[in-house]
Amino acid sequence: MIASSDDIIIKTIARIFVPFIQLYALYVIMHGHYSPGGGFQGGVILGASMALLLITHGYDEVKRRFPENVVLLMGSVGVLIYAGIGLTCLLLGGNYLDYGQLSVILHVEPAHARSLGILGVELGVGFTVMAIMYSIFFDISTGGILPGDDKLNGELEDNG
Amino acid sequence: MEVTLFIHAADDAFRILENAKVQAVGLLDTATRLTSETRWMEEKKVQGILKGAQATRSGFQNFFATFVMLLAFWALLSGKFDTFHLSLGVICSLIVAYLSHDLLFANVRVGDGRVIAQRFLFYIPWLLREIVTANFYVAYLALSPRMPIDPQIITFRTKLESDISWVALANSITLTPGTITIDIENREFIVHALDRKVAGDLDTGEMEDRVAHIFMEADHIYIQDVLDVSRVFAALKRGM
Repeated sequence: MIASSDDIIIKTIARIFVPFIQLYALYVIMHGHYSPGGGFQGGVILGASMALLLITHGYDEVKRRFPENVVLLMGSVGVLIYAGIGLTCLLLGGNYLDYGQLSVILHVEPAHARSLGILGVELGVGFTVMAIMYSIFFDISTGGILPGDDKLNGELEDNG
Repeated sequence: MEVTLFIHAADDAFRILENAKVQAVGLLDTATRLTSETRWMEEKKVQGILKGAQATRSGFQNFFATFVMLLAFWALLSGKFDTFHLSLGVICSLIVAYLSHDLLFANVRVGDGRVIAQRFLFYIPWLLREIVTANFYVAYLALSPRMPIDPQIITFRTKLESDISWVALANSITLTPGTITIDIENREFIVHALDRKVAGDLDTGEMEDRVAHIFMEADHIYIQDVLDVSRVFAALKRGM
């Protein structure tokens, strides 16, 4: 379990930079279809910003700010967005993730529909990657004990 | 007859005295009430000054300031100003501002932001000049054949009060060649210096004074002085 850092310099710099890192991550996700980057890279940056906060401000602060079950729910929602867009294309008569078919629902040209479809899929990928990165880091730092497992935690402490 | 007259006169005198006493007590009462009222008002004024100095922004002000800064950062990154991308930027900035509005402005007092930004901009050229001169000095140390270095670790206690000013001072020291901030522990700066002259330059405390000026720590001390004087004054008045 990681406690809050004693180093005032690292703590303050992290405090100031975390919002900008998070916005940069969202920028990378949202501009994935124009420039290098995309859902995976942006999601990793977003997860890294949370890991930075966890290293510097400690477990309790991060648990209060981003509860693990909410983040995991976001991960599931990301998968749902990805699969939902793919299946919608399938239902509209195209292939899986054939975004051109979305033009029927969105009432735009097929090219524009492809752009929007990729954006939605990248959003889903970004959510999921962020949630999984955060969850892995959280699990490693807590030694695999989930936040709800207070009883198990106590038993482990009793045993040694 | 004369005796009764005398008794009447004495009665009158008594009554007058009684009246005078009642009036005097009333006057004293009003006087004490007035002083306590004025004292209360003064204390309220002092508390107002204190609160104005220490009040931080409300949650919404923090949120809005963070949102504006993040939106500017987004515009800088994105460079696309059509409605779609701008609305994406607004949504993303709102989300991030909601998640971390209490991270960016943790210890900023009301109304300080613009002054701090302006003073910080004026601080940068001075810091650059310091860096260049220190660069030449370190180059001289490294290039001279005897290499007259005298590495030492110095500690000094800072008068700065907020974490952001500690970090600004520590990073300024690290940016200047020849000195590196190792750690800050309980307001003690632990600094590694390459040479006696470099350490002496740091000991003059000019950099610390300038950082204190940026983050209005001096104004803070000024208000503290006013409070101390007013407390002494109130104690004196109570004594009188």
